[in-house]
Amino acid sequence: MRVKWSLVWICILGLMLAPVSASAATTFESNYTYDFWGSLRTNRSLPAFELVRTIDNSLLEQVKFQSIDDVHVGGGRIFLVDATDSRVTILDENLQFVASIKLLRDATGRIIVNPETNQQLMLNKPEGVYYSEVLNELYIADTGAERIIVLDGQTYTYLRTIERPDNMVGVTQFKPSKLVVNKEGKISVVVQGSYEGIIELNRDGTFSRYFGVNKPRVNLIDYFWKSIASSEQKEKMGKTFAPSFNNISIDPEGLIYATTYDSSAQDWVFRFNAKGENVLMENGYFPIIGDIHRYRSSEESKFIDIAVTDYGVYAVLDRTRGQIFVYNFQGDLLNIFGSTGNLKGSLKDPSAIAWLGDNLIVTDRYFGVAHLYQPTEFGHAALAAEKAYYQGRWEEAGAHYEEALHLNTNYDIAYIGVGRNYLMQDRYEEAMYYLKLGNARGYYSMAYAEFRNLFIQRHFIWFVLGLAGIAGALIYSEYRYNRRQDLPARSGAN
Amino acid sequence: MAGLMEDAKYMIQSLLHPFEAFYQIKFVRRNNYVLPTIIMLLCGVTGIFSYQYTGFILNDNPLFMMNSITIFITTLFPYLLFMISNWSVTSIFDGNGSLGDIYIVISYALVPKLIFDILGVILSSFVIIEEAPLLYGFMAIGTVWFIFLLFCGLCVIHEYTVTTNVVTLIVTFIAAIVIVFLAMLFFTLMGKVLGFFYALFSELSKRW
Repeated sequence: MRVKWSLVWICILGLMLAPVSASAATTFESNYTYDFWGSLRTNRSLPAFELVRTIDNSLLEQVKFQSIDDVHVGGGRIFLVDATDSRVTILDENLQFVASIKLLRDATGRIIVNPETNQQLMLNKPEGVYYSEVLNELYIADTGAERIIVLDGQTYTYLRTIERPDNMVGVTQFKPSKLVVNKEGKISVVVQGSYEGIIELNRDGTFSRYFGVNKPRVNLIDYFWKSIASSEQKEKMGKTFAPSFNNISIDPEGLIYATTYDSSAQDWVFRFNAKGENVLMENGYFPIIGDIHRYRSSEESKFIDIAVTDYGVYAVLDRTRGQIFVYNFQGDLLNIFGSTGNLKGSLKDPSAIAWLGDNLIVTDRYFGVAHLYQPTEFGHAALAAEKAYYQGRWEEAGAHYEEALHLNTNYDIAYIGVGRNYLMQDRYEEAMYYLKLGNARGYYSMAYAEFRNLFIQRHFIWFVLGLAGIAGALIYSEYRYNRRQDLPARSGAN
Repeated sequence: MAGLMEDAKYMIQSLLHPFEAFYQIKFVRRNNYVLPTIIMLLCGVTGIFSYQYTGFILNDNPLFMMNSITIFITTLFPYLLFMISNWSVTSIFDGNGSLGDIYIVISYALVPKLIFDILGVILSSFVIIEEAPLLYGFMAIGTVWFIFLLFCGLCVIHEYTVTTNVVTLIVTFIAAIVIVFLAMLFFTLMGKVLGFFYALFSELSKRW
């Protein structure tokens, strides 16, 4: 009797224990990914990211966010740009308030005043920010005032202003919206709506070149009419302009990533080599277009920001449905999560995305909040696998992929990862098993070619015997045929 | 059974000597539809077979949502459509072949395609991606052979010259499109009519 009662008490106590992963409940609904067939039936995924914190006004002391238009993480700090209030807010890694910049001060702490107009130098609707760790400088794209402001990276004192360079060519208005700076100090600037590409400035603020090829989609009907039109007619026709870029990011190797949501663009995500050509790898099941089930163009994913980790995994933010698509460097889709709406963690008007270590910060312009997502156990395994694979630690990558598979058997990328690992270890049968599950026909073919070679080598004697048998049968039948032919001839001669 | 064996002899003859064999089939031997029907059914089954058992490397089909009846029908549909539209066109173009003749020609012509398709499916499990064009080339032999037999057979049974046959074939394709269009029209309208009666019935049944 006493045992019975103690069991009941244990059960009651057990019920009183708080659920461990309460925050995962907010994200499980919208996590999915696409399998080889893009099938809607099998694309549910375990959450790879879960909402842990929301960065909002409760973190700030006096000034509040009106909106958040860009976020950048660098040097252990988070830079949040508020275009409505013309302010850049800086938090540290633990989301503690560090500083807020609106009025610019010089090294002595005095507010800078323009001697001609007698006005204070202050930010005017900035839309982008970049912190260069190498140069220890903070670059603010001061869009409203058509300039770039450079501040000291630690004290945030004013260093210099970069205005429209005198040697700049083209018709693009110098309204910097987003920018990145590479290790040599070259500044790449995105101007919204510019069809000439990304503006590249030298360290001293002089114009270097327009950069990045964004090919427009060719319409077959337009192509036909243009091919038969005279040059006078062509002049009257609307010109097809190169689609404009809307956001930019840079990876540790200095390669520039950019996005566009111009409906006339062929590609929507770019990774530029030094010549400005798109070298993004698209080896996944589908090209990098976000959602693939599109019935109307209004349902297409519209990428507005991209964030790149130092191991090739990048996350793109979609404006249409507030979704975040996580891809690895080969273009495999790892996970899709996030949604639009008014719920906690949903986005009303998504504006920017950045990696904070393995965590993701996603900002919302409308509510002026940023959401901090952290990888789940599965997400950790998936990211660790990508990291190890990108850095060439194959064995470790294989182990992490297997761990991810144990957590999520629907994770096709891991089947490929495990299979690829076996393939590199020359264990072809295991490789074929996993690569088949991962629908990786290219790798499967490689494994199968080796497997087939080994099979033929091992059973070579049977192939030889078989061939010899056939050859023998042929020779014997020829021999018999000729003998039968010969006999009557001989008898005829006799 | 004996008749079936006799038919099989003609069928094998038709593979290499189509003119002679189809002439014999039309004018010497009375039509028997058992063997052609078996071939047609086999053709449908081959469609299912190749959908499911083509080697993994060359097989992109979602097998988990495979519907063998649909595949069976969609495999046979073009041939039957061709049969009907060819018959309706050649009746106007002074063709002497009956619907049964056309059916026999199509089914006998399908035999090499069938064989090469089955061989292709079996071999597809043993090739790698780089060898796929070779395999497709091999399977194309069957298709070319099929077209050749079909063309010869139609020439013979309709007693056409080559030019007339080409013209009727072109018209056949147009007729096939018209047939599909009319069929869609018919089924849509029938659906609407049935829907109307269904609505009428459900309305009435709810009132009384």
